[in-house]
Amino acid sequence: MERTAEARPIVEVKGLGKSFGAHKVLAGVDFSMRVGEVVAIIGPSGSGKSTLLRCLNQLEQHDEGSIEICGIQMRADTPIPRKDMNALRRSTGMVFQSFNLFPHMTVLRNISLPQERALGRSRAEADERSRALLDRVGLGSKADQYPARCSGGQQQRIAIARALALDPKIILFDEPTSALDPEIGLEVLAVMQELAEGGMSMIVVTHEMHFAETVSDRVILMADGKILEEGPSSEVMRNPKSPRAQQFLHAVMNR
Amino acid sequence: MTLDGVLLIAGGIYWTLVVTVCAFLLGAALGVPICAMRVSRSRVLNAVSVSLIVLLRSVPPIVWIFLLYFGLGSGFLTINPVPAAIIALGVITAANMAEIYRGALSSIHPGQWDASHALGLPVWSEFFDVMVPQLFRVTLPSATTYLIGLLKDSAIASTIGVAEIAYLANFLSNKQFHASLQIFAFAGALYILISLPLAAVARDADARLRSKVAQ
Ligand SMILES: Nc1ncnc2c1ncn2[C@@H]1O[C@H](COP(=O)(O)OP(=O)(O)OP(=O)(O)O)[C@@H](O)[C@H]1O
Ligand SMILES: [Mg+2]
Repeated sequence: MERTAEARPIVEVKGLGKSFGAHKVLAGVDFSMRVGEVVAIIGPSGSGKSTLLRCLNQLEQHDEGSIEICGIQMRADTPIPRKDMNALRRSTGMVFQSFNLFPHMTVLRNISLPQERALGRSRAEADERSRALLDRVGLGSKADQYPARCSGGQQQRIAIARALALDPKIILFDEPTSALDPEIGLEVLAVMQELAEGGMSMIVVTHEMHFAETVSDRVILMADGKILEEGPSSEVMRNPKSPRAQQFLHAVMNR
Repeated sequence: MTLDGVLLIAGGIYWTLVVTVCAFLLGAALGVPICAMRVSRSRVLNAVSVSLIVLLRSVPPIVWIFLLYFGLGSGFLTINPVPAAIIALGVITAANMAEIYRGALSSIHPGQWDASHALGLPVWSEFFDVMVPQLFRVTLPSATTYLIGLLKDSAIASTIGVAEIAYLANFLSNKQFHASLQIFAFAGALYILISLPLAAVARDADARLRSKVAQ
């Protein structure tokens, strides 16, 4: 990796905890990340990866600890002011496993509408930006189609363009390729790799071990709502310390 | 049946449509807050909305109309037949539309809310840009079925003297007793003539909306 991450932290998570009813899903999660870093989160199903990501942009409210992201402070014990919530949503983009494009809008509208509503851009400004981004993800010709007419890989690239259109400082990816055939997943991973090389700060929950190892700077391995191991990608992937981590990596690497 | 008779009964189309359309619009609008209460996290609002829906749906429409017109109307408050019919049928429609909306809401993928929130859409935009158009498509078939049912139910407005199709047919048959069969058959045909294009327009709109989201 030739990219240089700045020393400035963009995410700082301390003692993060989250329960659904009596079920404790996250407990004592600490980690931080610098501007421009790409962090992969891996771990077995149900280990709380999605929940962690959703707490970062407050799709779920955490109930213990604190999160600081792009300078916005969020403590579990104090309600987040509307202004901060808006700032948070403006600084963070999110890409979902199920794409979540708006099915009743054309591809162009999917990307332009949030720019108009969240950033107050004019229709013309937004459309211009949308078309540029569509070209960038290789889908310039799809602008006037409806999402249902696009393949899964295309839909996910559109979803990435939609997130990028709001000029986020960090993008959260939740298993962006898990719903796709492996070779279709590659076209999405290629777009993500390009973003990473362009210096975008990214957190990627993934089952793509190759991506975790080669594209990300750091890997966080989660199990049972806790961070089991974290460190430079090759170190965590090649020489996991704990038996639990070894067991997980052994299982996924030999698939 | 004379041409005069035909024109007389056809003149009732106006009030049939006024009562049907106004009651439907009233119900479609009132159904939104009732549905919102029904799906809200507050137990109290849930209970209020469930009781309201059960109450409105269990009492027959004709009893609601009598209650409003003769019940309320007999007191210090006077209410005209047309508004009485519209309000009575409108609130019943509200209860049914609330349930139709609720069914449609559950058909929308939860990821749509996640995306709206993650993109920072304001609440009004989430509602009008994301939710309403999708709900509209899903509710269109059942709402049309309900509207056609309502068109027929609007005939009970005749019982309190609204001069719609059924009322005028009854009025005429009392005068021309020998022609009753023709008169009511004609009235029936008018209801069919109104419902058919309604159903066709809805089917067409549904097909068009569906083709956009279909693979
Ligand atoms: N909204 C919710 N309500 C209740 N329980 C939930 C909810 N969301 C997640 N959970 C539970 O929290 C735990 C962690 O879920 P999470 O989705 O964060 O795991 P994950 O690591 O992303 O798993 P996967 O790899 O399968 O996506 C699971 O046991 C799940 O059942
Ligand atoms: Mg998950």
